Formats: sequence, structure tokens, C-alpha cells
Amino acid sequence: MRQIDRSPPRTRRLRRAIHRCGALCALLGAGVAPALAAPPPIMTVVTDDNGKPTDDPLAFLHNWRREGALLGDWWHVRKDLAHHGITVSVQETSEVLGNVTGGMHKSFDYDGLTQAVVQVNSQRAFGYYGGTFNVSALQIHGLNLSQRNLGSLQTASGIEADRATRLWEVWYDQKLLPEDRLDLRIGQQSLDQEWMVSSNALLFVNTMFGWPMLPSADLPGGGPAYPLSTPGVRVRWRPVNALAIQLGAFSGSPFNAANAAAQASGADPQVLDGSGTSFPIYHHGTLLLAELQLTTPALGGMVAPDARPPLAATWRLGVWYDSEQFADVRYGGDGLPLADPASDGSQRLHRGNLGVYGVVDKMLWRSSRDPNRTLNLFGRAMATPFADRNQISASANLGLVLKDPFPYRTDDSLGLGMGFTRVSPDLAGFDGDTALFSGTYNPRRTSETFVEATYQRQVTPWLQIQPDMQFVFNPGGGVANPQTGTTRIGNELVVGVRANILL
Amino acid sequence: MRRTLILLAAMAGLAAHPALAERQGFLETVHRHQTLALTTPDNGDLNPYAVVVAPVSAGKVQAGDVLISNFNNISNLQGTGTTIVDYNPTTKKTVQFAQVPQSLAQCPGGVGLTTAMTMLKSGWVIVGSFPSKDGTTTTRGEGCLLVLDATGKLVATWAGPTISGPWGNMAVADHGDHATLFVSMAGFGVPGPRVLDPATHYPVVLHKATILRLEVTVPEGKPPVLTSQTVVADGLSQRADLDNFVFGPTGLALGDDDTLYATNGLENTVIAIDHASTRTTSGGIGRTVTHDGLLAWPLAMAWTPEKHLLVTNGKNGQVVEIDPASGKQIYAQWIDNDQAQSPPGNGDLFGLAMLPDGSGFYYVTDDMNTLMKATR
Repeated sequence: MRQIDRSPPRTRRLRRAIHRCGALCALLGAGVAPALAAPPPIMTVVTDDNGKPTDDPLAFLHNWRREGALLGDWWHVRKDLAHHGITVSVQETSEVLGNVTGGMHKSFDYDGLTQAVVQVNSQRAFGYYGGTFNVSALQIHGLNLSQRNLGSLQTASGIEADRATRLWEVWYDQKLLPEDRLDLRIGQQSLDQEWMVSSNALLFVNTMFGWPMLPSADLPGGGPAYPLSTPGVRVRWRPVNALAIQLGAFSGSPFNAANAAAQASGADPQVLDGSGTSFPIYHHGTLLLAELQLTTPALGGMVAPDARPPLAATWRLGVWYDSEQFADVRYGGDGLPLADPASDGSQRLHRGNLGVYGVVDKMLWRSSRDPNRTLNLFGRAMATPFADRNQISASANLGLVLKDPFPYRTDDSLGLGMGFTRVSPDLAGFDGDTALFSGTYNPRRTSETFVEATYQRQVTPWLQIQPDMQFVFNPGGGVANPQTGTTRIGNELVVGVRANILL
Repeated sequence: MRRTLILLAAMAGLAAHPALAERQGFLETVHRHQTLALTTPDNGDLNPYAVVVAPVSAGKVQAGDVLISNFNNISNLQGTGTTIVDYNPTTKKTVQFAQVPQSLAQCPGGVGLTTAMTMLKSGWVIVGSFPSKDGTTTTRGEGCLLVLDATGKLVATWAGPTISGPWGNMAVADHGDHATLFVSMAGFGVPGPRVLDPATHYPVVLHKATILRLEVTVPEGKPPVLTSQTVVADGLSQRADLDNFVFGPTGLALGDDDTLYATNGLENTVIAIDHASTRTTSGGIGRTVTHDGLLAWPLAMAWTPEKHLLVTNGKNGQVVEIDPASGKQIYAQWIDNDQAQSPPGNGDLFGLAMLPDGSGFYYVTDDMNTLMKATR
């Protein structure tokens, strides 16, 4: 929308006149009407009948291009809540994704997610500094393309989940110590929000750029990450500005059942806690995490006048340990391969599970002409030493994000990323056993790789449109296609578009 | 050697210790960065801009209180913020000092409070408005200067042909019963942010921004009266921006030798206007004191006790220290390293004010809507 310049013309002649207006302006300031064709009165005493607010209920529609949210301030509801330190955010993510090659079927599916987050700031609400109470809920709708069509390990969309309306996170966060050097969070948390995070990877659509593949496959129920969560405590300590140490202790599984029992039943973890309200509190084990976060530039860091333009970087090193019991992926309790018809089907259980990881986000380049334009690299790798109890033994992500990719598109991002995951040797052994004992086509799964190209365009402050393309090599790690029974699932080209709408 | 030490300190995330050598400036003494308060008032206004330390106790304000204006409303529309909050460093409480009507007939275009704010020793608060209806300069008004009493009550507006988008932090020579104010005007002729220069694909750059000197007298018990005004600089660069509303001259600081320093953000320079309080003609675009280097869209300015200038950067989270006498950029410090922005802290900083004892400075972070304090 172009706008005609509404400002009155200014000329040097006028400016010279203004320079001379001193005494005149004084008179005008005193309320005397100007006698000359000079600048209009400059001082006005304010009366009480000004500034009545408009009550047009559709005012936000008149300014839909610039409002921060589609529905503005919700007919003053936001403003009323803000008075009490309460903020409410509701975002709809909707997408259509489909595979045009490969997969078990070919189709385009719609899926969507509505997230609602309510936060209360303790300073605004109670005059007490540093506290935030947060509660969030999810409404998940549409179909799950990865499950229905793709059969991939690294599912195509981070919002795909069982259709449900569920509570997500409920926690209280308190900043402590001078300079907020300690931060404590207690309550039900979704660990993908604060752990193992690559900030640049969050641009992408594929699930594994958020909560990684390895814990998605190896932790109980895929771990306490979207759409699941679990009670626990997180502490973050920042002893010096560049370094933070984050420690967490959470319930071992995001549902009340023991992990081994859940594995034995093959139950869907999202069904085991269908509403997010089971609050499993340390019944069967504990998930412990530790993460070291190194950031540059650090707060307070000095910059010499001839220093090269600073290129930001964040490194994270972490480890997690879950004390639950985990069933062996190849052998049963009787020592026979699970695929052996002679097996009694009992579980061979292992106590505990462990993973280590590293994450890097690094700015590689910044335009000298437009500082908003930056090229950023991200990488993340995770591995577990236990092949016997895990389906996935390693996973990794790598990618590049170009921010502000085109002139005057400062809020857009262009990304190219990939994900790799290796099936554990023991699960591959189980595949071999199955082929041997059943005599059916059952190839040993090895690894799966995908690449994704995406462009996120900020259309308005409340709307992002994101065309996306993914190509999956060796879907499912090379798993047999259940539709044919004699071939692997073919490589998949997935295309689609996502929209993020802040309501 | 010193440069090496600074670089090593930067890599380690630590500020260089002043004991390492004789101090070069002020910033190396600053080590603590503390969040003091949220700047969001009852009506949910966002985007804190001006930071002013109250010179006196008057009305609702205690001497040493920090006044902060908000530029955006709760929908995050720029040029629609109407509130000033008051942070008391002793009680650590933040209260709303003033809320001005959004629509004000005497203020062309309405109200969107900017970085142009001061509190006079007589207790009057003067703040600029560069208003918009839709959060961009497409619907901008010329704005005005608002005069509030020490209880936050709006008592007068100043508007007219010399006033268009009063924008940057004020430089003030306050003598009690009279004062000289310098305000940058960034609005003249600025079209909407979608009016692009076909050559650059960015919004068109104009050269109509000015710095206006206002002489006021303050009659006993009565609002300040404007007695004269003079354009002391003109032809300064300005352009609209979708994310940042407008680029234009922002920071102002008056030196003891009557030199007015100004940040010319779009040109990435700090300029000087000589004889600022006495000159009767415009100094044009002034003389360039320093340019580029550590500067990255320089915004607000403040004097250090060493008579250096601190300048907040708009395009990263650094504050830059310069020696205006020599034009030398001494160094910079990261006072906002939020990695959610690229580069870190991009678009977060704006207003800046020294602590009364000179031991540090207050600043705001626009992304978190907080008042911060940086001290030794």
C-alpha cells in the first residue's frame, strides 16, 4: 500500500522565517493570535475533552497489515489482562504437505496446531521481580502424513501428532541472584523448549530440527517433548556472562506407566496421557540432564575499535540419563532373539539409558551493506553408547540459514538443512533375525537421510507463509514397504506450505 | 598489547580490567548488567524508548527516578505508545507516571511517545510525539512536543511547522527559570516504508531532517513558555523503515564548549554543530566527528564523567564510547547480546541515561521491554 506524503511542504524560505520568529512565538505561546502569515500557533493548552478512544469493534481489520496479532487486542481483553500482568498468545499453525514420489501412498494431507499460552509476570501482578507463571495448551488437528504415507523415521513436520486437545506446559520460573545469574523453573515442562535447542534449526518444518531423532526414538514415549511434557525442575546458573550451566531432573517418562510396560504393550504414549494431565511424578525413574552453554559475544564483552564485525556463536554440550528400564531391541528375557518363534516374548530389561550431544549455532557472514543479512550455520549431533536398548544409535542435523535474504526482507529467512539418523546395530540385527526366522522380505534397516529447503516469508507481523520441500533418502532406514512386502519404501519428495498465524 | 587484552577479555566474555593499564575510558569499568524492571505499564504499551533521570523531586517523581516512555501500544504498533513509567531505584517499584490520550487534537496525528524526553529542574516533563495510525510512517502525523506537569498531567502541546516527528533524545541546558532544548526532527516528508527507491530496493532516503533549538522560560508555578526556536542543523538523512519506523538523527548531547553532538543514524556518523546555543543560522549537516567503525546505526547518546560520549547502536547490542574531542572511537561493549536477533541485540537498544553519580548508566532493551542498569 503506497501512501502519499501527507506532510506539508517545507522550504528554506520557511525555515528562515522560523529562525526569525522568536519574539512572535513567545506571543503565540501566550495565546495571542498571529497577525502575520507566519508559522501557525505553536503552543496549545490542552483541554479535557480530547483523546476519547474509538470504540469501533472492527478497528483491527482496518490495520490488518500492521497489527501484531490478527485480532488486534481482542476487543480490549488483552489490555485488561495486561493490567494484571497477564499476557495471552494464541497461534495457529496450518500446513498442507504431500509426497509426490515414494512413500507407502501418495497424497497431500492437511494438519494443524493451535497453541495457547498464558503467562503471568510476577512483577506486574504482585510487584515481585523475576517470576513468570506459564500455562499452555495444544489443539492438534488434521492428518499425520508421516504416519500415513511416508513411514520415515525423521517425520516431515514438527507439529504432526495425534489429534487431541491437551494441556502442555505448566510451570513457574523465578530469576534469582544479582544480574539474574540463577534461574529456577519448576513444573510440567516440555524439554524441546530449552534443551538441545539449535536456534537456527527452528526455522525448518521437519520434526528433527526441533526435538532430535535420537531421544524421539530412544527415550520413553519419545521423551517429554511436544506434544508431551513431564514434571520436573530445571536450574540454570550463569557463573560468568559467556557460560551457563543448565541442570534438570524430570520424571523418567511422560506418562504414569513404567517405560518397560509401555514398551511391552506397544501403547501410543500420546494415548497413555491423552489430555496431558496425568502428571507422572517420578514413579518409575528419573530423567537427568546437564547442558553447558557457551555464548559469544557475551554480555559485557568489550570490542576493540579495529575488531572485525562480531559473528555470534552458541555452543551447547550436553548429556542425559534416564533411570527407567528399557527393553532390549533384539533379545528377549529368555536369551532368544525376539524374532525367534521359540521366544517366550518376555522382555530383556536394561536399567538406564544415556545420550550425549553437541549443538552449534554460528554466524558465518554478515553483510557490510545491510547488517540484518547474515548467513548462519547450525549443527547438532547426538549419540548413545547403548545399542542393545535403543532403536537409534546416532542422529545429526546440519544446515545453513540466510536471514534477510532479499533486499528489505529483514524478517524473512531462507534455509537449507539436512538430517541423518543411524539405526542401532541391534535393531538392524533384529531385522536380520526376522528375515531369517520368518523367511519373509525384511531388510536390515541402516540409516535415513533427508534434506530440506524452506523459505519463511513474513507477510504481516501476524502471518508467516513458508513453502517447504524435503527429500528423504532411504525412508525408515530402508524398511520394507508394507504395501508391496517385497521392496523398501521408495525415496520421497515431500512438498508443501505452512502458515503461522498469530491470532 | 592493550588491544590484545581487550580482545582476549572479549573472547572470555569479561570486560577488560581497568587495573591492567591506565584506563582509556568509561566502559571498561562497567561489569554488571542488571535487569531492573519491566517497562510495560497497565495498558500494555511496549517498546521503551526514552530514558531520563529525574533531576528533582516534584509531584509524583522523586529525584533520581527513571522515567521511560513507550513508543508502541499493546498491539506492538509503532508510533502509538502513550505512556511514561517511573522507576524508583530506592523502592524498586515501577508505576505509571503518565498516560496521554492517543488522539489529541492539538498534536497532529495523535500520540506516539519518542526518545525526545526531558524533565526540567522546575519539574515539568517534555516529551516528543511522532504518531502513526498503523504503526508505520504511511499514516504518520507531524506530531508535537507534549508538556506534562510533575503529576503526569498533560498541560500543553507544542506543534507547528518546525516540528515534525520529534525523535531523538534531547540535549538540555537547564537553568531553572529558563532552558534551552535541542530536539531532532525526523519526520519531514517521510513517506510510508513501502515507497522504495528503485535503485536500492530500500525506502527512499530524504535529507530533510533537522535539529531544532527551543528556548523556553519557566514562570514560577506555570508551564514553560516557548520563547524562540532556531533550526541549528538541517539536511540530515532520514528514511522510513518497516521494522524500525524511521531512521533519522537521534542522539543529542551538548558539550561544555557549546558544541552539540548528534548521531546521524542513516549515515552512521556522529556530527557536531558548533555554537549550538547561540548560533542564529543552521549549521547544515554539521561536521563529522566520527563515522562507521564500531558505529552501527547510532542512536541515543550520553556524556560520561570523562567527557566521552556513549552511543547505543541500533544494529547490534553494543554501546560505543567515543572521545568527541579527538573523534576517536575508544571501544564498545556488548550490553545486549540476545542471540534471538541477528546480529545479537539488533533493534534492542535505544534510550540511554547516566546514573546521577556517574558510576554507570541506565538503558532499555526493546525486545524484553525492560529497564537495565550497567554499573561497575
